[in-house]
Amino acid sequence: MKKILIIDDEQIIRTSCERTLAPKGYAVTSAASGAEGLALLEKEPFSVVLLDFKMPDMDGMEVLKKIQASSSSAKVIIITGYSNVDTAVRALRSGAYNYIEKPFTPDKILSAVKEAIDDLEEK
Amino acid sequence: MNKIFGNPDRSLVAKLIIAIGVLMVIVSFIFWYAILQKQQQDIRSIAVKYGDSFLAFIKQSTHYSMLTLDSAKTQEAVEHLSSPDVIKEVNIYDHGGTIHFSSSEERISSTVVKTSLACTACHEDPEKSSALLNERMRWNVTKDPQGVSSLSLVSVIENEKDCYTARCHVHPQNQKIIGFIKADFSLGLLDVALHKQKEALSLYVAIFVIIVSLFVGFIIYTMITRPIRVLIAGMEKIAGGDLDHSVPITSGDEMGVLARSFNAMIKDLKEARDQREKWTQTLEEEVARKTEEIRKTHTSLVQTEKLASLGRMAAGVAHEINNPLTGVITFAHLLRDRFPDKSQEVDDLNVIIEQSERCSKIISNLLTFARATPSEKGSCDINEVLSRTVFMLKNQEKFHHIKFDVDMDEAQFIVFGDASQFQQIFLNMFINAADAMEKRGKITVATRRVKEKGKDFVEIEFSDEGCGIKEEDMSKLFEPFFTTKPIGKGTGLGLSVSHGIVKHFGGTLKVESTVGKGTSFFVRLPLSETHQ
Ligand SMILES: Nc1ncnc2c1ncn2[C@@H]1O[C@H](COP(=O)(O)OP(=O)(O)O)[C@@H](O)[C@H]1O
Ligand SMILES: [Mg+2]
Repeated sequence: MKKILIIDDEQIIRTSCERTLAPKGYAVTSAASGAEGLALLEKEPFSVVLLDFKMPDMDGMEVLKKIQASSSSAKVIIITGYSNVDTAVRALRSGAYNYIEKPFTPDKILSAVKEAIDDLEEK
Repeated sequence: MNKIFGNPDRSLVAKLIIAIGVLMVIVSFIFWYAILQKQQQDIRSIAVKYGDSFLAFIKQSTHYSMLTLDSAKTQEAVEHLSSPDVIKEVNIYDHGGTIHFSSSEERISSTVVKTSLACTACHEDPEKSSALLNERMRWNVTKDPQGVSSLSLVSVIENEKDCYTARCHVHPQNQKIIGFIKADFSLGLLDVALHKQKEALSLYVAIFVIIVSLFVGFIIYTMITRPIRVLIAGMEKIAGGDLDHSVPITSGDEMGVLARSFNAMIKDLKEARDQREKWTQTLEEEVARKTEEIRKTHTSLVQTEKLASLGRMAAGVAHEINNPLTGVITFAHLLRDRFPDKSQEVDDLNVIIEQSERCSKIISNLLTFARATPSEKGSCDINEVLSRTVFMLKNQEKFHHIKFDVDMDEAQFIVFGDASQFQQIFLNMFINAADAMEKRGKITVATRRVKEKGKDFVEIEFSDEGCGIKEEDMSKLFEPFFTTKPIGKGTGLGLSVSHGIVKHFGGTLKVESTVGKGTSFFVRLPLSETHQ
């Protein structure tokens, strides 16, 4: 069972992801802040991390860099609130696997996660 | 002439004529007096000459009777020679003053008055001494009470050889003067002649003075007064502001020069005035232009500032709204998956999903507009976008009682831009129209091709029969957050966002409105060059 970590300060986003992914056979864990997410990543390995780019405690970019620096091999998918190519490009350059724009549909999340896991398994 | 003498105080010519007249009168009087005086003198000296010869004639006539001591004969001759009209009296008297012969017999043997010419002709003061005058005053002229003047003439009878050799021996040889003969002549006739001459001369002088005065007056009037009057009339016209007036130049003299320089002055004045007017006008235009520029800059500054804050707000709002929207979309999907396909529930949930996605699109449009990030640009068929929008609206409750009068040009109007943004503009126009008509009435939509500054545009007209826009609101229409609608209903963003989009794609947005009759909005978008 693939483990997915979702880091977002918004309850509704976390729930949406959980409710979308869980029925499809993913083990979903959620964290309400960057710090909490990083702590969880230390404890156990995750295949995919869904990371909100704009959170009150820690900048998404900072969390992304810390994940890159850690031993974790998780693929990071950025969730961005801005329909802003700049943010996406910056995130991809910093090692993010993909990005999803808010508001997203369940299909988008599913296909993005599936893509990431397929990629992971190929290696 | 009346004009000249009407008020001599103010007429140069009158003064001149009066001065010249006075001068002429004085000079003529002097001449007149001199001539008369001279004439009188001449007449008198002639009279004296004739008188002298008369006395000599008397002497001769009485010579013989004197020598013969024939007193009667002498007296007879004296009497005979005098005539009361002209020669009033002839007296012959000795050195002592005793009259021996006289034309008036009663005077014989009487003595002459010592102060009379008989003595004063030679003696300075006969009453006191016998001193002689250096020059003898042999004659004088007196006037009798009737005003008739008469000439008295005295002549000395000298002792001659005949006298002292005569038989009678009355006069010794050493006696120098035997006696005197004095005659009084009436000058009455001469007086009359002189008087007549005086009258004639006075008349001539008067006529002369009048003629010369008139002539001088006329000359001055034609040569000075008239041109000056013309000049004055010209000046008055110019003072009244008529700078097109010019004074006719009729002579080459100083008046002509004056008129010429006057005309030149008017020309300069006119030029100066025209120049000044031009300056004033350009200045006004310049001020108006600058004011407009400043106003525009100001509005655009305000606009930019408002848009910037709108952008910041929109970004924040977008972020916040996207989260709940994600929830709505996700759960609608999840719910939909639980119902069998083609069920009523699936249809309803699809509406929720669609509308949520529209929301997200509107938000991203707002963001795009606010942050000027590239949107999904491409070639849009305006007629198609418009019909789609109208079709979509017809099913909306808000538009149930609204009639759409669509008059679209058959041509294809391809515009480069974002179809969903154009749709947003059209939607806003329709919603505004419906609001203005309180959901009842007719909206006319038309598209047409227009040319502006050599470029092709498609013009989309939205006309309604609504309440219209008040004059004072016209300028604020495109400002963000300007709304006349109740809170919660209007945002005041519709037109400002529409305006921003239209401008972004190089178009224009115009409005015409009559309060109580309706409003027309004209959206112009440049036609894509490849499709022209
Ligand atoms: N068709 C129209 N007829 C009359 N008034 C109009 C019309 N369109 C716009 N307006 C006026 O312009 C204002 C601003 O419109 P808009 O920018 O779309 O904001 P909103 O519709 O939210 O008020 C409106 O409140 C209304 O007063
Ligand atoms: Mg509106």
